[in-house]
Amino acid sequence: MAEAFWAFATVFTQLDLLGLVALGTFAGIYIGAIPGLSVTMAVSILISFTFAWDVYPAISLMIGIYMGGVYGGSRTAILLNIPGAPSAIATALDGYPMAQKGDAGVAIGVTTVMSFFGGLVGILVLAVAAPVIADFALRFQPRDYMLLALLGILLVGSLSGGSLVKGIFAGALGIGIGSVGMDPLTFTERFTFDFPVLRQGVSFIAVMIGLFGVSEALMQLRHLDTPIIKQKIGRIVPSWGTIRKHLPLSLQTSSIGVIIGALPGTGGDIAALLAYDHAKRVTKNPEVPFGQGAMEGLIAPETANNAAVGGAFIPMITLGIPGDAVTAIMIGALFIHGLNPGPMLMIDQPDMFWFIVGALFTANVFMLIFGLTGVRVFTKIVEMPRAVLIPLIMLLSIVGAYAVNNSVTDVYWMLGFGVFGYFMKQYDYPLGPVVLGVILSRLLDDNWRRAIISVRESVPGFMAGVLGSPLSTVLFVSVILIFVSQTPLWGWIKRRVT
Amino acid sequence: MSVKLMGAVIALGLSAGAAFAEYPAKEIQGIIQWGAGGSTDVVMRSVTPHAEKALGGSVVMQNVTGGVGAIALNQVADAEADGYTVLMGAENPLLYKVMGLGDKDYSDFTPITLLARGTPILVAGKDAPFNTYPEMLAYVQANPDTVRFGSTGPGGLPSVVTAMITSTAELPVIFVPYDGDGPALTALQGGAIDVMPAVFGVAIEGIRAGTMKPLALFDVEPMAAAPEIPTIVSTNPEFGAMLPWGPFFGVFVKNGTPDDVVAKLRAAYSEATKAPDFVELMAGRGFTMMDITGDEAQAFLAKWQQTTSWLMQDAGLAKTSPEAFGITRP
Amino acid sequence: MQPQNNRRPGELAFALFLAGFSAFLLYTAYGISGFEALSAPGAIPMAATAAMLITAGLVVVQTLRKPAAGLGFWRFVLPPIVVVVMVGLLAFAAVLKPLGFLPVSALFLVLTIKLLSRRGWGYSVAIGLGCLLVIYLTFRVGFSVLMPPGIVPEGEMLAWFRGLLGGGR
Repeated sequence: MAEAFWAFATVFTQLDLLGLVALGTFAGIYIGAIPGLSVTMAVSILISFTFAWDVYPAISLMIGIYMGGVYGGSRTAILLNIPGAPSAIATALDGYPMAQKGDAGVAIGVTTVMSFFGGLVGILVLAVAAPVIADFALRFQPRDYMLLALLGILLVGSLSGGSLVKGIFAGALGIGIGSVGMDPLTFTERFTFDFPVLRQGVSFIAVMIGLFGVSEALMQLRHLDTPIIKQKIGRIVPSWGTIRKHLPLSLQTSSIGVIIGALPGTGGDIAALLAYDHAKRVTKNPEVPFGQGAMEGLIAPETANNAAVGGAFIPMITLGIPGDAVTAIMIGALFIHGLNPGPMLMIDQPDMFWFIVGALFTANVFMLIFGLTGVRVFTKIVEMPRAVLIPLIMLLSIVGAYAVNNSVTDVYWMLGFGVFGYFMKQYDYPLGPVVLGVILSRLLDDNWRRAIISVRESVPGFMAGVLGSPLSTVLFVSVILIFVSQTPLWGWIKRRVT
Repeated sequence: MSVKLMGAVIALGLSAGAAFAEYPAKEIQGIIQWGAGGSTDVVMRSVTPHAEKALGGSVVMQNVTGGVGAIALNQVADAEADGYTVLMGAENPLLYKVMGLGDKDYSDFTPITLLARGTPILVAGKDAPFNTYPEMLAYVQANPDTVRFGSTGPGGLPSVVTAMITSTAELPVIFVPYDGDGPALTALQGGAIDVMPAVFGVAIEGIRAGTMKPLALFDVEPMAAAPEIPTIVSTNPEFGAMLPWGPFFGVFVKNGTPDDVVAKLRAAYSEATKAPDFVELMAGRGFTMMDITGDEAQAFLAKWQQTTSWLMQDAGLAKTSPEAFGITRP
Repeated sequence: MQPQNNRRPGELAFALFLAGFSAFLLYTAYGISGFEALSAPGAIPMAATAAMLITAGLVVVQTLRKPAAGLGFWRFVLPPIVVVVMVGLLAFAAVLKPLGFLPVSALFLVLTIKLLSRRGWGYSVAIGLGCLLVIYLTFRVGFSVLMPPGIVPEGEMLAWFRGLLGGGR
């Protein structure tokens, strides 16, 4: 136990490690905030950069960037309605309306504190229950992933705003976009129309930057002459009352974050969206309606995506199985530094586990500090003249889309979706479901096929599998309940019962 | 004012300067065929820093994924043959032609080095009712269409190993597709599939921890890192003719790259593959070091392509017969 | 987002376009593997495009029910300034590879800032180039994103500059 404590405390006792975590977290916030600079990208560059270093400093820097980056995505989502990373898509839904009312400072304050809280829950679960959760996560079968994807697709209802029909259209379009290219399971070409460039599919980041970045910038062009909203400079740190009031919700959404983060194959983006939906469902009387600046709509995704960080490390440390894209790269980094991530790592090198927990904890604290300082300067971004801000957003969008795969094709996709998104906004089609569809497309498609192949294409066999497993049954019943409650069927049943 | 003209003047001045400057006069772009965190990525990212030192320049590595690596291959093929764009790839391109995935393969490239070769291994879930390859075969044939085999797309290592098995015996199993051996081995540990052909290095940690069990090593010699795992030829000598076979990693430049540039890159990478920590890393993951180049590498590639293409053809997985590309039956 | 009572200019055309596009995609999805198997690669794409076609059809019906739109597509939906910027963006992408990142971005930033701010050239050039420098340093130097160099041999310039600073390795 004493060794575990000292490994945990390594980060605070060694000044250079502490400095690296701080530096990583600080850089991470900016990397996360800029659409097109992603944590995945930054961490893979760091592999070469830290090649000659010892393993502890290298991991410290990566963990800092990871923690800061996941949080940083919320900044641009709140201030500009442009999520810096996929996991901040839900944050924009209520964060941006708050900024429009001049409450950007409050929104950032709540986001920061709640991200810290979510991160803390994630780290705590990692420290206390990693083996249990990892075992649970491993038990998810293809049919469970498929049901989880269906559960995610039902979020369309929450993300649709005005018109559910348009929302379903947008969601289905997203699923279609996600399946463009060479199918990774059978190498069949889908929607490629014999164009070689279409074989690689459509880069999801390019779609996101186009739909949120460029289309928003184009929209803003129409408001060149509207006066810029002055941000209120008041209290940034939320009051204890506010925090206490939302504590139950934060705990629930953090738990969602940890579990979804721990599942290999799902990460913070899906966690944040599911948490947003959950908040919308359980909050009966929000002070401000959802979509117009509800605090709950900000708390849910931000606690969940930071809790997912701790979650993603669970299968990585205990089993050597990545919980998401970033932890996959970190496994590679551990290999390069001569470690063997796998089920034996916890037994052979328990120090590494406790060191990672310690580094995550430290990064979380730095995130809180850096998040709450300098907010006033940050909110000035919104007060920048639009004539400068709009071209800048456009250039950043282009660079960001190009950087994903070093390909001009992605820039064209990004611009195409920017223009398309502009028209969708004009005619009240929600954009959120498109991105949701793209995120979930592979999860749904691949696992549906695996699940149905495993039972030799038999639908009764599939149902027997679902009902034979408690986990699948719970997921299945949730899908049915949420589906029924979102459709007119619910009203009909209610009328019948009463 | 003409910006273009100004740019042209600057360009002229500098490129004249650059012509005298020695290679590398700027960053070299290394295009990695597979995603971050995968085997190819880890190998390339751990060997390249040593090569950079020997080269006295920097190599910027970039993962370009999609199309089973064909996107990356085409990106390098479309760039200038000046040695500033390098392909860091695996074995897959050798099957593009027969699998209908593209019309280019490594014959359009000059190998800098073929770094190392991996060894396939057949693993099963820890609760599977068989412990060896013959037991598995007997169980599968006694219970047709119940055992679930993990697979990846046609042409990947699992499909080649499976083709080897089906060329020697009946294999009535359900194939469940995954998009890489990493996710498939996760599924194996979670019980979603029962058997999976994988690369030794990816499976070894799970085997050591007992979360999966090895059935047979697909090689003629046992592995030094795990001598207790039986080779397939020890129980089924009929596999001997097809082995050794394995995926490999290599660094390539486009044909037509100046000889002195190729020589410089070769020297750098050859030195890098001898770096002790790289050798140790590769040995730990069960990779067999090769470090071959020039004619030797070309011969290796040709033989690999011949064996594997015909295995695919005989398993009915090839879209076009290897004969159409002048690849003769071994 | 309040559902609008009046049809907006171009709304019906957009809805019809989406419906037609969905029908085309459904046909393409059918071509992937037909009704071969539940696990076929075309199964989910067909389900998704079918959902697109049905909902797009419903949207067309809903749109038709609204009172007809007035004129003013170019005024309310697609004002000239938006068209100009869209064209600028497409031009950016088109010449990015041949001309290179630095000159194209410089032109784009300076021209759009000039156009949108309606202020002097000095202001536009100063702000535009300043921002470009920050972006270039972040992406190119910080993150080694190799943007197309085009006519400016910035790679060599950077290597030369680094050589000056570090005196080689």
